[in-house]
Amino acid sequence: MLQFILRRLLNLVPVFLGATFMVFVILQVAPGNFLDARRLDPRTTPATIARLEQQFGLDQPVPVQYAKWVLNFLQGNLGTSFDSNVPVAELVGPKIANSAILTFGNIILVYLIGIPIGIYGAVRQYSLGDKVLSISSYLFLGFPNFFLGLLVIFGLLQIQYALGRPLFPVNGMTSNNFDSLNPVQQFLDIAWHAFIPLMVTVVGDVAGFTRGLRAQMLEYLNQDYVRTARAKGLSERTVIYRHTLRNAITPFIAGIGSLLPAVLAGAGTIELLFNWPGLFPVFLEALTSQDIYVSLSIGAISLVLLVIGNLIADFLLAVVDPRIRYF
Amino acid sequence: MSEATKIPSSAELVIPNAKSKSQREVVSEQFSKHQLAVFGGIILLAMYIGALFAPFISPYGLSEYSTSDITKFHPPTHVYFVNPDSNLPSLPFVYKTKRDVNMDTFVTEFKEDRSQGKFFIKLFVSRPEQPYTLFGLIPMNVRLFGVDEPARIFLLGADSYGRDVFTRIWYGAQISLTIGIFAVILTTILGFIFGGLAGYYGGWVDNIIMRTVEILGAIPTLILLITLTSVLPQSLDPILVFYAIIAFLGVIGWGGDARRIRSQILALREVDFVQAATALGAKESRIIGVHMLPVTFSLTIVGLSLSIPGFILTEAVLSFIGFGIREPYSSWGLMLNNAQEGGFASINSRPWVLIPGFFIVLAVLCWNFLGDGLRDALDPRKRQ
Repeated sequence: MLQFILRRLLNLVPVFLGATFMVFVILQVAPGNFLDARRLDPRTTPATIARLEQQFGLDQPVPVQYAKWVLNFLQGNLGTSFDSNVPVAELVGPKIANSAILTFGNIILVYLIGIPIGIYGAVRQYSLGDKVLSISSYLFLGFPNFFLGLLVIFGLLQIQYALGRPLFPVNGMTSNNFDSLNPVQQFLDIAWHAFIPLMVTVVGDVAGFTRGLRAQMLEYLNQDYVRTARAKGLSERTVIYRHTLRNAITPFIAGIGSLLPAVLAGAGTIELLFNWPGLFPVFLEALTSQDIYVSLSIGAISLVLLVIGNLIADFLLAVVDPRIRYF
Repeated sequence: MSEATKIPSSAELVIPNAKSKSQREVVSEQFSKHQLAVFGGIILLAMYIGALFAPFISPYGLSEYSTSDITKFHPPTHVYFVNPDSNLPSLPFVYKTKRDVNMDTFVTEFKEDRSQGKFFIKLFVSRPEQPYTLFGLIPMNVRLFGVDEPARIFLLGADSYGRDVFTRIWYGAQISLTIGIFAVILTTILGFIFGGLAGYYGGWVDNIIMRTVEILGAIPTLILLITLTSVLPQSLDPILVFYAIIAFLGVIGWGGDARRIRSQILALREVDFVQAATALGAKESRIIGVHMLPVTFSLTIVGLSLSIPGFILTEAVLSFIGFGIREPYSSWGLMLNNAQEGGFASINSRPWVLIPGFFIVLAVLCWNFLGDGLRDALDPRKRQ
């Protein structure tokens, strides 16, 4: 297993270097740099500009700057934010945790809700329930999740005006009195704030997931070995869960790897809409103000997430599928 | 006697109506059985025609608004089909509206000013002050419908500048609906070239191409796309921004196509008819172009129609977060971006600004229906 992980990580080195270099070059292509805004500011002296330029290595050629960044990144130093003059790690760290609440919450809920619905759709194919679920999943696939979010906010505001009080919070991650709460209450407070943003991301993802799982299940349910299992007199439960689902679900487990970074980006518009203090708003801000070390680090973090996700996926695949062995 | 014992010729043996069908007939028959796909196709056709004739069917110009008679967030105009005075049916007409601030709530309201009389909706209105060129070729100034000044008709309300939402939806369709098609054509061409090269030549060509695909796939598409569009200078001509976004979508998105084509080519290389062509001494270009690529076409068509809705959604997200299409051009995502102006609480008093979103949903839905229908029709295993 260890050998496998090491080989995997080794394969990743060129991809990591290639991808980060690509992003670095793209960011450098932008006309001007962060200091331009400061040059126009009469309060900033040329000496300050020169000092900043030297401090951040902006006066050096691009490959040198990139090499510097990579070496620092490997030592865990993500660089400094031009904008707020704090280390990027300090700026981005808490945001990752906030985004992770939505990301992991999303993945867990999608699997918890999506698997039963997908199985139901395949086992009761063409039943009324299956038809309703199929049509609604078709429909939800058409909704970009930011638009669904806008509609939900609109609906909640209508309810709020009707009731005279908000039903769910649609702004931010914590209540105003968050600091005075005990840890259990704090947890509940965040969960309460996360509920609506999570639901909005989950609905669309569940729609895609169930459609895929249903098709996979149907493909396997018609196979000979399933008929054999039934003929042996195995209970329907065993046939479906042990013989069919375990096969049908493998592509979704393999897909977890790319899910982590994708959800990070996918929850992005939702973070913007609901004012969730996540990674995506910071990323957009950094891009707009050409705070390159922040945007580059976030790109690199999504790469690291992809690797972690792929490793988790490989591990889970080995658990589910006895044909796969890494050791 | 001899006639009775005559052996039926093979032509007579054939069951009537069972004349062998061409591939195209089978596919179109299968497709028409898929009712949702036919429905999706018809709706899409209507939307694309609407986009093509956008300047004609919309009563106003793309960014036309009055600076003297402010119509900011004008609600949808009430069109009367019944004369309110006599309760008799009438030709459709509207009233001129007046902007007023409600002194109790300080909310801007638009009230009908009936003293100026009825303004009947006219067909084929000539509006020389807002000329346009249809299909970019024919100079025209006739609009399908409209009302006389000073009245205005906002079928779906007005936006934050007071521009007609109905008009901007159709102009926006020109961008939102075509960006997916252009992007998909680009990714397919790039996918064919690189996937074909990688699959056919193998070795270091394959290695370089597939590593590039891996690198492109390592960063989430949206993150990479936003990074790319953030580089475009603010002063850039908005039409160039539109082309740039298509190019970015293409450059980022060809990996999946290349992978598919490559694996198909790899499989095809071993197939008998390709080996036969090689043995007969056919040229490489002939083997690739005549024998291999056509086999991959049906899967490609399916891939095309199924990835268009994805690109439509991507453009919507990009424009929504302000990194996509720029003013004065219109796109459905951009219109939703404008809808947020003034905070969410204000959406409540003007829900019509959310209407463009339903056009996104409809377009994506119909492309999905169409794609599924084509896949089922072209895949022999799924035929009924």
